[in-house]
Amino acid sequence: MNPLRNLARHPVRTALALAGIAVTTAMLLDMVLLAGGIERSFAQLLLGRGYQVRVSPRGTLPFDTEATIPGARGIAATMRRDPAVEAVAPIVGSSIHARRGDSLVTLFGYGIDPAAQALYQVTAGADLAPGDSAGLLLSAPAARVLAAAIGDTVVLVSRLDPQMAVAGSSRTVVVRGVVRWLYDARDQASVGTLVPVMQELAAFRAEDRVSAFAVRVTGDADSAAARLRAALPSLEINSVGAMVLRFRERLTYFRQLSLILGTISLGVTVLLVGTLLTITVNERRGEIATLRAIGVARGTIVRAVMLEGGALTTLGGGLGVLLGLATAEQLDRILTSFPGLPAAISFFVPDARSLALAAAVLVITGIVAGAYPAWLAARAPIAETLRTEAT
Amino acid sequence: MPLLVATALTKDYPMNGEVVHALRGVSLTVAPGDYVAIVGPSGCGKSTLLQLLGGIDTPSAGSVALEGTRLETLGDSALTRLRLTRLGFVFQRFHLLPVLSAAENVELPMAEAGLPRDARRARARELLRYVGLEGRAGHRATQLSGGEMQRVAIARALANRPALLLADEPTGELDAATGRGILDLFRRLNDDGATIVVVTHDDRLAGEAGRVIHMLDGHIVDETRGAGR
Amino acid sequence: MLLPTTTLLLLTLAGVPVQAAPQAATPALPIALERRLAERLGARVGDTLAVGREAGAPEGRAVVTAIYEPAADPSVITRRDLHARFHLPDFTALLGAPDRVDRFGVGLAPGVPPDSAARELNRIAFGFQASPSAEIASESSQTFRVVSRFHDAIAIISVVASAIFLLCIMLLKVEERRRDAAVMRFTGIRRRTIFAALLLEAVLVAALGSAMGVGLALVAGAATNAYYQRFFDTTLIFSAVTPGILRFSVLLSLGLGLGAGALAAWRLVRTRPLVLWGRE
Repeated sequence: MNPLRNLARHPVRTALALAGIAVTTAMLLDMVLLAGGIERSFAQLLLGRGYQVRVSPRGTLPFDTEATIPGARGIAATMRRDPAVEAVAPIVGSSIHARRGDSLVTLFGYGIDPAAQALYQVTAGADLAPGDSAGLLLSAPAARVLAAAIGDTVVLVSRLDPQMAVAGSSRTVVVRGVVRWLYDARDQASVGTLVPVMQELAAFRAEDRVSAFAVRVTGDADSAAARLRAALPSLEINSVGAMVLRFRERLTYFRQLSLILGTISLGVTVLLVGTLLTITVNERRGEIATLRAIGVARGTIVRAVMLEGGALTTLGGGLGVLLGLATAEQLDRILTSFPGLPAAISFFVPDARSLALAAAVLVITGIVAGAYPAWLAARAPIAETLRTEAT
Repeated sequence: MPLLVATALTKDYPMNGEVVHALRGVSLTVAPGDYVAIVGPSGCGKSTLLQLLGGIDTPSAGSVALEGTRLETLGDSALTRLRLTRLGFVFQRFHLLPVLSAAENVELPMAEAGLPRDARRARARELLRYVGLEGRAGHRATQLSGGEMQRVAIARALANRPALLLADEPTGELDAATGRGILDLFRRLNDDGATIVVVTHDDRLAGEAGRVIHMLDGHIVDETRGAGR
Repeated sequence: MLLPTTTLLLLTLAGVPVQAAPQAATPALPIALERRLAERLGARVGDTLAVGREAGAPEGRAVVTAIYEPAADPSVITRRDLHARFHLPDFTALLGAPDRVDRFGVGLAPGVPPDSAARELNRIAFGFQASPSAEIASESSQTFRVVSRFHDAIAIISVVASAIFLLCIMLLKVEERRRDAAVMRFTGIRRRTIFAALLLEAVLVAALGSAMGVGLALVAGAATNAYYQRFFDTTLIFSAVTPGILRFSVLLSLGLGLGAGALAAWRLVRTRPLVLWGRE
């Protein structure tokens, strides 16, 4: 009793059911990907350069506010005393300006320590050398907006006084390299200098302020973070894992939306497969009664109906996975256009676990959907059905 | 030793709030090699009797014993197994699986009985040849004529070498000429040793049987001799 | 006329514990707390709070003069930031940056177009940028446009899935009547009459299903609002079942039901009655 041949008995009905299952599977897959995708993407981004702990002003997440941490060198030294700490990367972030002809261009400025940095990858030219106070790193959008290339000179200014029309701080630097800032939004014009240079531009120098630290540790990041927290109680110190958990709170909407729409998709699949098989079983009552009469066991009938449900969901699900991956790409394109979102973040990250989860849920759905009609088929009274069918 | 013994069978079932007495104490014995026709007007209980003899329905009272095994003592799966291996059924409306070929329909009970594929194929070929359909083995059931479908159904009923072949109006859906072919097939089967119980309205078919049992209102009212064994 | 904004965020305030403020010579600053913050701190009007730029390092005292309910703002809802308001001079002094502000709101004389005023200001600007309010509103609503586009995309998938589901169910529903249709044909009833009867049944099923769907949508919408309003502690509306949406949904389901019913009924009445009965 080949389930595919049975499905081929009603091609229009089967095609519609397959299309319905494909669309609902696509929705289910997209929702499974959405439920965990951005978290995975966020964790991948945070761990991109191997720094597993973040330090920020108390009550904030890094770059969530304009709050800063004073006494950066002392804090870094305290952290380095922990035997698990391999590297401490101080990060300064501030809005600054650059001169372009007679006008000023607004940029985002990073202060970094090239020997320990968790923020960028060099894509062209060279990284800053330690102590290179005259060096500048540009993002590709910054290079475009400044019309600057490697070797060009750029004048950075900050602390502008509108009334006097003068800049409180100015620095002439030379472009050493073009980099990809990992946390930058698409088309964000960002530049990077050594920490002290950016501190001076941002007026952080006097109190030795930084925006955040990234810390690379050996062993368990959570216990290292806990030790650092105990040593520096006035700071917010979290492992990437803990940050992902906090980030998850902000994604409640997407997780719940995925749960609700995923559940509806499953419900629709169950209804679709269940209704189709129930009607099919009712249509084949005579056939089933005959099979039972000639000695075909109840188990065989149940298996046949369930297999038919399984074949429907597998075929429809297979199409649905392809459709789901295509729609996930489109949906991701929409959601990643959120203003200010790091370009590296993705909402729909296909991974083996999600695909396996969607497949498992789908198979269970097929079984659940086939259970009632299979039960109907198995329990049908043989003699009564044959009597009815003979009329 | 008789092949089948039915003793004081009664069957009542509810219909539209009333109890229908389909059988009222029917007893019957079938010996190996018998060709029995059960005849009577519509609603006399002959199909019900056939269903009780075949273990696809249970009597309200009385018992049926096949080869010494009382059917009422068997559970559903044992009864199903008995129908599969010891009984063969032929129905008025054939009830072949339309998605399967003639050969696959014949193989179906053998597959259910766990026969290896090669043995199933060989037996299906042999049976289709026996019923005169060796050239139609690969055709789907829907591509066969009524007579051909009934021949396939007979081959299917014979697949597991049953002790008893039960047929319910096997010519009821066929025209006279096609029905004649089925009569001949039943005749040949009986000549080759098959035990057959057939329920029919068809006088020609009844006339071919060795024993003709006449039913009326749930009773056996008479038994006459036919042309057969 | 230049109007300095008087509302600024003091995001680190949430980390400041309420403590009995020391009696100091400097007077306590008046502060207005948003309701959620007041609840979080357990503060009431008249209470004195310790405030400062750094968490755990109070630099002054503030006395709660008001508790207010902020306007529901979807753009910050997931951040769960807590807000407080100071008078501008108090706040800039607290931040250690007297006479520095983040932005100004500018009221224009009647008849002055905002675009040209912004252009004129930008021509002489040094260290600031002027933008028409409409442009800022447009930029700040970008997030919602993205969410809206996402919802639209999800809605398209849902509508396609629902449409296929509906087509399938209607087809099955009509197919279920094969034998009835055969009986009617046997008894000499015209195809047109059978077609009309099957179609009418499909329309009734679609209408009943649509009505139930509307009811379900209203209940689900109310439940969604109740849940998220409680979850985010806000008065925002999360699910709005508008007349337009209702009209679209009902017309779509009725149209699809009718179309599918007609298609299935047409197939059925064109089939020979004996085939419908299963005898051929």
